[in-house]
Amino acid sequence: MEQRSPPSAASVLLCAALAALSAGCGDGAPESAGGTLVVGVRSDFSGFNAITNSSQYTDELIKYALFTPIVQYDESLGVRPWLAESWELDGDSAVVFTLRSDVRWHDGEPVDARDVAFTFERAKDPEAASLLAEAYLSQVARADVIDARTIRFAYERPHAQALENFWWAPMPEHRLADVSPAELRNADFNRAPVGSGPFRLAEWRANERVVLEAVEDFPEELGGRPSAERVVIRVIPEAATRLTELVTGGIHVDIDVAPDQTDQIEANPELELLSFPGRTVYFVAWNNLREPFTDARVRRALGYAINREEIIAALLEGHGAPAVSPIPPWSPLAPAVEPLPHDTAAADRLLEEAGWLDRDGDGVRESENGAPLRFTLLTSDRALNRAVVEVVQSHLRRVGADARLQVTEFQTMLAQFRSREYDAAFANWVLDNFQVGTAPFALFHSSQAEIAGSANRTSYGTPAADSLLEAGRAAVTPDDAAVFWADFVRLLKEDQPATFMFWLDELAGKRAGVTGVDMDPRGEFRGLADWAPR
Amino acid sequence: MTGFITRRVLGAIPLLLAVATLIFIVLDLAPGDPAAQYFNPNVPPEVYEQLRRNLGLDQPLGTRYGKWLGSFLTGDFGYSFAQNRPVANVVLDALPNTLLLAVVAIGAMFVVGVLVGVLQAVRQHGWADRILSVIGLFFYSMPSFWLALMLMLVFSLKAHQWGWPIAFPATGITSFDYEFLSPWGKFTDRLSHLVLPATTLTLVLAAGVARYTRGQMLEVIRQDYIRTARAKGLPERTVVLKHALRNSLIPVVTLVGLYLPLLFSGTVFVETIFSWPGMGRVIFDAISQRDAPVIMATSFVFATLVVMGNLLADVLYAVVDPRIRYD
Repeated sequence: MEQRSPPSAASVLLCAALAALSAGCGDGAPESAGGTLVVGVRSDFSGFNAITNSSQYTDELIKYALFTPIVQYDESLGVRPWLAESWELDGDSAVVFTLRSDVRWHDGEPVDARDVAFTFERAKDPEAASLLAEAYLSQVARADVIDARTIRFAYERPHAQALENFWWAPMPEHRLADVSPAELRNADFNRAPVGSGPFRLAEWRANERVVLEAVEDFPEELGGRPSAERVVIRVIPEAATRLTELVTGGIHVDIDVAPDQTDQIEANPELELLSFPGRTVYFVAWNNLREPFTDARVRRALGYAINREEIIAALLEGHGAPAVSPIPPWSPLAPAVEPLPHDTAAADRLLEEAGWLDRDGDGVRESENGAPLRFTLLTSDRALNRAVVEVVQSHLRRVGADARLQVTEFQTMLAQFRSREYDAAFANWVLDNFQVGTAPFALFHSSQAEIAGSANRTSYGTPAADSLLEAGRAAVTPDDAAVFWADFVRLLKEDQPATFMFWLDELAGKRAGVTGVDMDPRGEFRGLADWAPR
Repeated sequence: MTGFITRRVLGAIPLLLAVATLIFIVLDLAPGDPAAQYFNPNVPPEVYEQLRRNLGLDQPLGTRYGKWLGSFLTGDFGYSFAQNRPVANVVLDALPNTLLLAVVAIGAMFVVGVLVGVLQAVRQHGWADRILSVIGLFFYSMPSFWLALMLMLVFSLKAHQWGWPIAFPATGITSFDYEFLSPWGKFTDRLSHLVLPATTLTLVLAAGVARYTRGQMLEVIRQDYIRTARAKGLPERTVVLKHALRNSLIPVVTLVGLYLPLLFSGTVFVETIFSWPGMGRVIFDAISQRDAPVIMATSFVFATLVVMGNLLADVLYAVVDPRIRYD
């Protein structure tokens, strides 16, 4: 019954085969591949069409790689000429842009004023369900083509930051004119776009990768030819897997590093961590229509009870900044208002004032009629959200408030939050643009509170807040606007319709040899044309 | 035989339709909304409503089902809500990748499982049998996503950091510079990307096959005809491989059909972890985005594959066992 072991020749062969396999790609091949830069991202892109797109990374590729927006932001978030080489303001009511003559579609046609007007008209068409129209064009009434290089936009009414309405890229009319507005979202163009930016789209394999190729004759004044010949953006959904690829050299840049991965990157001499202020603010929304949050004193007390600094230090590893409002601290118009401090004594005082006392000694406060200070705190099942609500729960417990956690899958959470069927919710808001008024108005104007499914999910709205929001949006000079926004933020801090928690820093990792990578609130892909593998 | 296959295929049609209808209704009951896949909460209600109209979501369930069934039966799978392109393209892009992974995994699973099972049966109660039993039980009990991460940790990350001669790529189906490789380079590149995901799927399922083979072998090896074979002086190798193994394999073949659903649910995790752009990833993303047309199409494809797999198992059964006839 003696069984013979497999012949040793076979094992030798097996080893040789395995070695051949691993030589194929195991040892950091990207480093030797010349002008190709490999980037890892979390999820696949949506269609590359500025009119219908609503996802962030796709928006960044549209604005920084594939197309050329009318205006662009500089590092201090000032507006600078881009596709428009200059502009002239027609009082407060209109702006006239003169376009560059050297920007071309990748099929050779010039980018002209008709393309800009076409994009505007399509976006404004309600059938297109365009987020571009909502985010940028709600204050722009009309576009008139004066000649091939000149276009005039008339405003609905004078408002602050008016030039920032034009941080979007025109789409080619000659490629899209035949597509009906309702069909734009499904247009074949979106997956094989003819762009106008420093890169052209060479290949897109769904859920796998997007390949960009440098455009040789991109205008020098707009940065010229990109540093990398070819950029491969790979879709790698798992954070741990992405980091593995970064360590082993399978990718050069890892967009979207998790806070708990920062130690690993910092400890590795081959890698560098990039941390920069982001555009996402996290907050606890209190349902202002439900007890006990109808009382501003209760909301403020709970705001005092939450220790933001502890959350930022412990859960974000320090990669965040305390928030006081949806106006980012790095905005030129950000008011100098400190967030609510952590002060449990103040919280206790306010709750007692509002009639919430621990009458039966069980550690949870009760109202006069015996109703306990108990509510559900809703959030989605992302790891960060889950961790934050657990800490918030313990903070609230210390002042006698009992938050029951409800952690659900994102879609389920959103459905409840949208329909305002919640007590308190931990959620986040991502800024689409740098116009200061957009987020506060959407989140806290009383007109929005009445609309089913709108972003004002706390149902907050007071005459004082409304008038400040309107005044802030209507102020024409930045200095005037700043005064109103400062007053609004102070009111928000007092009323606490929602407790703003923190601005999350964006984290990315790169291999030390990659040069030119510089990220800031304008986006991860902001400087893509300057990134170069060594 | 032909009549049997025809009857089975025809019988599968109402089954598949029932499956599709059930999924359609369950999807409708699930909370969430495909229009909400635009994570961006800034989308105002008017735009949101227009989006729902454009997607046809404002109509009642019955109307939507009728429309869907009509176009589905004519081979039109519609447009993906999330990817904004024809669902047929979504499926055609992903299916070959999953089939490649599944075929390799099934092949490896049977080879490894049968070899281990035979070895264990031949050495029943020996050291090899016991050690392999423990190892087999270990892999059988491990969730595939954990195993996937461990394999990646050791054979990709640590193998690279410790400078092992062999390190496998952690993600994808090809390297980024695939187009520039020689034909042999392309082949090894693809193969090396297959190693970790295929191994994950294989290890979990091969343990079951090994267990099954061992049991069958032990039963067969006690039969009279095996004793006869030994008695007439045949070498042990011939007895085991020719007489015993062939007879024990008959029921193992039916495992193909039983393991297909397991394999496909395994691909959902494995493809997500290893960034393998296949059907598992597609269905995973589609569910979290409530992308109904894609969920319908992918689950239909999976259901069809499972039904076909079972049919294949039945046919193979008749092929390997002459006693079985389908009339």
